[in-house]
Amino acid sequence: MTGRVLADDRRVDVALSEQTRVEISRQKERYPSARSAILPALWAVQHELGYLAPAGMEEVARILDLAPSEVQAVATFYSMYFQKPGGRHTVMVCVNVACALRGADDVVAYLERALGCPSGRTTADGMFTWQSTIECLGACGYAPMMQVDHRFYENLTPAKIDAILDRVAGEAGDDGHATMQAVAMPKAPPSVAPPPAEAEGPPSDARMPGTVKGESVPGQKRRRRGRPEGNDL
Amino acid sequence: MTAAPPPGDGQVGLVIDGREVRVPKGTLLLDAASEVGIHIPIYCAHPKMDPVAVCRMCLVQVEKLPKLQPACATVVSEGMVVDTQSDATAKAREGMLEFLLLNHPLDCPVCDRGGECDLQDFAFRYGPDTSRFPITEKVHFDKAVPLSDKIELDQERCILCWRCVRYYDEITGEKEIVLQQRGVHTAVATFDGQPLRSDYQGNLPEICPVGALTHRQYRFKARPWDLIRTKGVCPECSYGCNVFVDSRDFEVKRFASRDNPMVDDMWLCDRGRYSATSWNSTSRLRRPLVRDAAGGVRDVGVADAVKEAARRLLAVSERGGGEVIGVLGSPDCTNEEAWLLQRLAREVLRTPHIDHQLAEMLRLGPAEHALGIAEIESCTAVVVLGPEPEVNAPVLTLRLHKAATKRGVAVHRVAANAEPRDITARVGDARLVGVVADETNRARAAAVASALAGGGTAVKRMTVTRGGNGRGVKDMGLLPDLAPGYRPAVPAGMGGRAILESATSGSIQALLLLHAGGVLAGLGALVESALRIAKVVVVIDTKPGVLADAATVLIPGHSLMEKQGSVTNLEGRVQRIRAALPPATSVPSELRVLSMLAGALGAEGWGSGDLMEVHRALAADVPAYAAAGNGGRARWEVAAA
Ligand code: SF4
Ligand code: SF4
Ligand code: FES
Ligand code: FES
Repeated sequence: MTGRVLADDRRVDVALSEQTRVEISRQKERYPSARSAILPALWAVQHELGYLAPAGMEEVARILDLAPSEVQAVATFYSMYFQKPGGRHTVMVCVNVACALRGADDVVAYLERALGCPSGRTTADGMFTWQSTIECLGACGYAPMMQVDHRFYENLTPAKIDAILDRVAGEAGDDGHATMQAVAMPKAPPSVAPPPAEAEGPPSDARMPGTVKGESVPGQKRRRRGRPEGNDL
Repeated sequence: MTAAPPPGDGQVGLVIDGREVRVPKGTLLLDAASEVGIHIPIYCAHPKMDPVAVCRMCLVQVEKLPKLQPACATVVSEGMVVDTQSDATAKAREGMLEFLLLNHPLDCPVCDRGGECDLQDFAFRYGPDTSRFPITEKVHFDKAVPLSDKIELDQERCILCWRCVRYYDEITGEKEIVLQQRGVHTAVATFDGQPLRSDYQGNLPEICPVGALTHRQYRFKARPWDLIRTKGVCPECSYGCNVFVDSRDFEVKRFASRDNPMVDDMWLCDRGRYSATSWNSTSRLRRPLVRDAAGGVRDVGVADAVKEAARRLLAVSERGGGEVIGVLGSPDCTNEEAWLLQRLAREVLRTPHIDHQLAEMLRLGPAEHALGIAEIESCTAVVVLGPEPEVNAPVLTLRLHKAATKRGVAVHRVAANAEPRDITARVGDARLVGVVADETNRARAAAVASALAGGGTAVKRMTVTRGGNGRGVKDMGLLPDLAPGYRPAVPAGMGGRAILESATSGSIQALLLLHAGGVLAGLGALVESALRIAKVVVVIDTKPGVLADAATVLIPGHSLMEKQGSVTNLEGRVQRIRAALPPATSVPSELRVLSMLAGALGAEGWGSGDLMEVHRALAADVPAYAAAGNGGRARWEVAAA
């Protein structure tokens, strides 16, 4: 977890942890073509750094034996990869059709007022970076929805949004991407077993799905579909 | 059924706009149409790249298919009936162009590409009259963003055809450019905004169909209709890439590629391409001069200068014989000049001491350049000795890349001093192996070639000669031991370095130097003392410098942009060059000056030095050149038979 900064435009030198590099190599083995591993590799970098620092992308390119330009082309194509360091927590509001029909615009307007900065920016206290340019996150049935770090919050109302923001901001000693690692890279499903000891961040029961109504974890859904456990970044 | 069953000759018959066409199986519709002169507008398609069909500009109607088909990616099939003029096609073209122009800045009046832009041309020919999109709503990007010291990007003008990305992927393999972001924000970019580092950037503005990528060297320099276009050959190295020399107001404004699939395959290197403006230098020799023993300098007419040169050369040779004269040309000479110079030396001055460079290059033979450039693609394997061949002929790298990636040729880059045994082991079984080396590694290349040959393996060598016409002047016998056409010279004379050393020791008393400024530059002491000690120094050259300063008789010459003749590339391809600029001096051509000199020395039957006359005499002397004509390769085996 090196070199995390809050200022929007400052770049830092980063060195990926051994763990992340091993993860990237492991992803490479999973596909017939190394190119296919770009997406999971970038996830691993973002989990560690909170955003895709150029040095991180270069490292991905080196491990996957691709040109750094190819990696960045992919990275910039997807809105859920962050090109700049952001706040401690990331809030992404879906504005696609189902959510739009169920009031996503109001959610966006409300968030802008609540956080006091426009979409794409970071709050003055460095707590939240938020984005309203996110496409469908696959929770249309519970629209409108938003994702905070790696958790979904659904059937949003202004009151719920306030509660969520308060709670997330109030989590003492919490760290946004620590949350991502603990929740999204579990060695075992978090609803079944506690997270592995080496995962950073506070005990995971506080963040289990279900503590907030309508909350769910994307990783959990995938597991239900019978994918191999634990590595679905 | 609209057509007869396939006759099984590997040809496919189809009908395009009512015209019957027969093309080989596997041909793309786009190529089949151009075969019969039917123009289909394209953006993403490119003759040297694989089809991707992303721009949808080439959509045409094919009978029985519900949707329009991209001609650039549709393979012809028997009985196909194609309509490139239907209403549906026209509507698709209009629609595509309206889309492409949605966010286009429409700044043709200040765009370097104006007048030679496919977006302008197709919008004019196939586009809608008006846009339904308000001009005030356009998405804008920064303009004139440098991608390097050579290339500028104007993202607003980009139509996202992917050509630049594919160029870097397929043609050079360097992958420096990608498209980043998505949707309307998609933009051409390098990794982390780093500047382009490629040695082949100059091809980008030529493959870009619009004015998004432009040359910084050519920025705001000319409109295509201002330019005078002359077919030429890049003078920077002996690879001999074909270029258009585009000039305006008596200055070269740019070199543009002139596709010769046998040589450059339409790519130029930056070193060659951007050398274009160096020919506009005004630092030139313009008037003949004669220097007397006391160092006094006289301005003279060319006739007097030639007479004076002849008088002084005769004076030294009367006492010491022809052997006291050393003659140096250079790879900056045309074939005609080189041939005439050696003839003057051997027949009139009667000296065997002739060369075109200082490094000794004895017993050259045609086997050293038997491998043709395009032939690289049909080799099983190619061995490249050291980095020099690619440094000295940069576009060779692109041919090797194509051979390796598109033709499956195994390209082995090995150290120049690698053991032939190890190389043979690496190459393994092969039908035809190319051995590519720089001329300074001739001996090693020979050793490698003989180690590889044998069994079922044939070996052909390519030698990268130094200097623009390095091959031509060797063919023409500007060598101490070989006369034109690799015939042995009897007697053999001294090479370049020995000539200069002998001048320093006094056994060579006169030097005749034709366009030798380049090869003698940077040799410092040896050249200086040779020039100082020699009694007679006749210099024919273009630029001021040590030679001009030391010349006892100085006659201005013409640059390669100011004359006609032929040059020969490293594989022996004889190519014409033409004058793109007016001469910087009123002195007649070098051929004329050499002929006048021969006459003044008492030789008879030398004629006027007219280019055609010299060329005919040359061709009679070297039949391989007669057979090569303009653009063919000199085949020495044929000539010997
Ligand atoms: S810059 Fe030119 S070549 Fe590259 S994608 Fe844009 S239009 Fe095509
Ligand atoms: S490879 Fe040689 S001939 Fe070709 S463009 Fe470059 S310098 Fe000119
Ligand atoms: S539209 Fe918002 S989650 Fe699908
Ligand atoms: S030229 Fe055919 S789709 Fe672009």
